[in-house]
Amino acid sequence: MHGWIGRCLRVNLTKNDFKLEEISQELMNKFLGGRGLGVKILFDEIDPMVDPLYPDNKLIFVSGPLVGTGAVTGASCNVITKSALSGTIACAKLRGHFGAELKYSGLDMIIVEGRAEFPVILSILDDKIVIQPALEYWGRTTSETENMFKSSLSDRWAARDTYLLSIGPAGEKLVPMANVINDGFLSVGGAGIGAVMGSKNLKAIAVKGNHSVTVADGNRFVQVVTTLINKLNSAPLTSQSMSSWGSAFLVGLCNQKAILPFKNFQSSSFEESKQIGTEALSSAFALRSRGCFACPIACIKKADVDNRFYKGKGMAPTYLAIGALGLNCGITDLTNIGIANMICGEMGLDPVAAGGTIATAMELERKGLLTKDSLKLDLRFGNGEDLIQALTLMATKKGHVKRIGRGAKALAEEYGHPELFMGVKNIPLAPFDPRAIQGMGLHFATSNYGPHHLYAYTFIDEVLNVHEKSDPWTTEGKPELVKRFQDITAVMDSLGLCNWSLMGLKFNNFVPLINSCLGTSYKAEDLLQTGERVWNLERLFNMRAGFNRSHDSLPERFYNEPIEDGPAKGQISKANEMLDDYYGLRGWDNKGQPSAEILRALELESRDAKNKD
Amino acid sequence: MPRIKIDHNKCTGCRHCETACSLNHVAGVANPRRSRIRVFREGTTYFPTIAGPFVDAACTSKNDLIIGDHTYDMCLICRASCPEKPFFIEAETGFPLKCDFCGIPPSPSCVRWCNSGALELVED
Ligand code: SF4
Ligand code: SF4
Repeated sequence: MHGWIGRCLRVNLTKNDFKLEEISQELMNKFLGGRGLGVKILFDEIDPMVDPLYPDNKLIFVSGPLVGTGAVTGASCNVITKSALSGTIACAKLRGHFGAELKYSGLDMIIVEGRAEFPVILSILDDKIVIQPALEYWGRTTSETENMFKSSLSDRWAARDTYLLSIGPAGEKLVPMANVINDGFLSVGGAGIGAVMGSKNLKAIAVKGNHSVTVADGNRFVQVVTTLINKLNSAPLTSQSMSSWGSAFLVGLCNQKAILPFKNFQSSSFEESKQIGTEALSSAFALRSRGCFACPIACIKKADVDNRFYKGKGMAPTYLAIGALGLNCGITDLTNIGIANMICGEMGLDPVAAGGTIATAMELERKGLLTKDSLKLDLRFGNGEDLIQALTLMATKKGHVKRIGRGAKALAEEYGHPELFMGVKNIPLAPFDPRAIQGMGLHFATSNYGPHHLYAYTFIDEVLNVHEKSDPWTTEGKPELVKRFQDITAVMDSLGLCNWSLMGLKFNNFVPLINSCLGTSYKAEDLLQTGERVWNLERLFNMRAGFNRSHDSLPERFYNEPIEDGPAKGQISKANEMLDDYYGLRGWDNKGQPSAEILRALELESRDAKNKD
Repeated sequence: MPRIKIDHNKCTGCRHCETACSLNHVAGVANPRRSRIRVFREGTTYFPTIAGPFVDAACTSKNDLIIGDHTYDMCLICRASCPEKPFFIEAETGFPLKCDFCGIPPSPSCVRWCNSGALELVED
């Protein structure tokens, strides 16, 4: 067995008990690992209708087989559960070093069941597994948790090799927008997972170990990795744009195409975003590049902030933060956006879900429906300082802001304007205006995880034209593009590779890497089929959780209100028109139900689809 | 004599050098704990440290090093493996690990995989 460790830790917090299990070869072959394996376990082991915050929901942490081998960008660890925000399946993609250390601690996967009586930390240090009380950690921010835990270890050198994943106050308070944070500052997707972890009274997981990860053909593997490093190094996007500014470099490009939303998707931000381009970013922050495990790109930018609102370090604004916490709330001050993003990291809030909620509140305020008095905060478009306060209050459920702490949809409904909720399946849209980027729009409508670009990087073609030239405003070829990127993302997440590497590499480039690592002889099609299998299994889970065609739709604004000015003037989203084509390509019927044939072709039918009906 | 030049300001902490070293010494085995280069973080800086001498007693005095406005514990940057900082020892065998400029010449394997420019081979 190569790449894989082959072992899984199953922890039952109700019984305060754990056991080690083997992972069957059959499962590894069929789902590869990471996201695929996590989805399979969740599908088999929980009732999709379960209340996400009940002890019956499970929380699965799983690294892919390429993680920790030295494979380029092999850093990704997925967290799979049923989301407290959307009720769909949820998947966070942890980068940084946690995933690799999980492998070195001798595990591919941790399954957490039940609910602890009081707050606990699961610590797996050098094969010693302990569920330890963590009352003194409760209420701490994620970086405090990290520092406290490390300084509690007697061996300070061992502390340096220990990696943590934790929730902040938001997760503890079961705020539905909470997510998990690893290495003290990183979060990637996964709104609603933090609350699930909080409901289990699990504050953090710490890992460290001495196990090796083996690679099937060591010599060939080293050669392939060297080639891929050189390739990434000669591609302009990965060697320059991403390594200088991280995903924030996309801001300018998306703005040219009118993709960046402004003020709760009322218009595109066209003019304002000059103040928030890469030059402004470099002058607002001294950026330090941080690489996830074995990543030559190092797109993560850290920065320090020291002013009257915030003192500390954290992630510098990414595209996502600039869009969701900035422009979509009418805010163009990069320092405020940076602080807001760092607070999200400290509090364990998802920036897209939290930003989307505040943007909704701001539009309600604009329409005179929500007053300063009712919130004791001035949530006007453009008011960065109150946004910063609102985030902390939301996460800690303090003050009147808790009214907005149930999420954007609940807020819009409470004030009688559900149409002001800019999201799908209860989750606010990531900052891409679906009217100006048709493929992403279709993906937002159909995504198993809600409208987040991290589950299909269509902008790599639609905006950056890396693999194929594709215009963002047309619908031509978009259903195919969306399916391809959804499947690629699913398989890369299953293997444990970071999807940003697609900016410099083609999917085919990874095939020799995967084969020399795992000792397999997959072709690209085989791997993409695994991606498709994972996507369909997620779809089946969601359908059983009560989602259907009616949920594969964007807010009416994108179909009815054309973009008012700028380069994409007059554009509306055609996601609804493309839906049948997309279903057809996927082999789903017109209700969005995967057909018997496609399930059989993907070897999902027998046990997977039937025994639950 | 060829030297490995280390630029702390460029290091991103990706630890690709660690896996490169491990994979090059035992084919097919990736394990940072078996690597002859380790990357330590202190504050906002990463320090790639290449295995140096083995000593059986720890220093009797401690040194502090001030760089910019940060004070570093010298033990962090010290290349020695001592009882207080027992690095560069293979866990199973207790075998001491030493940098041997491995890999395909001219560049040692860690330098080849370090994409940030933090590690560089220089001749003098
Ligand atoms: S591209 Fe960025 S997110 Fe992906 S592995 Fe590299 S540093 Fe991490
Ligand atoms: S490979 Fe280079 S950048 Fe990465 S940790 Fe090692 S020295 Fe630092």
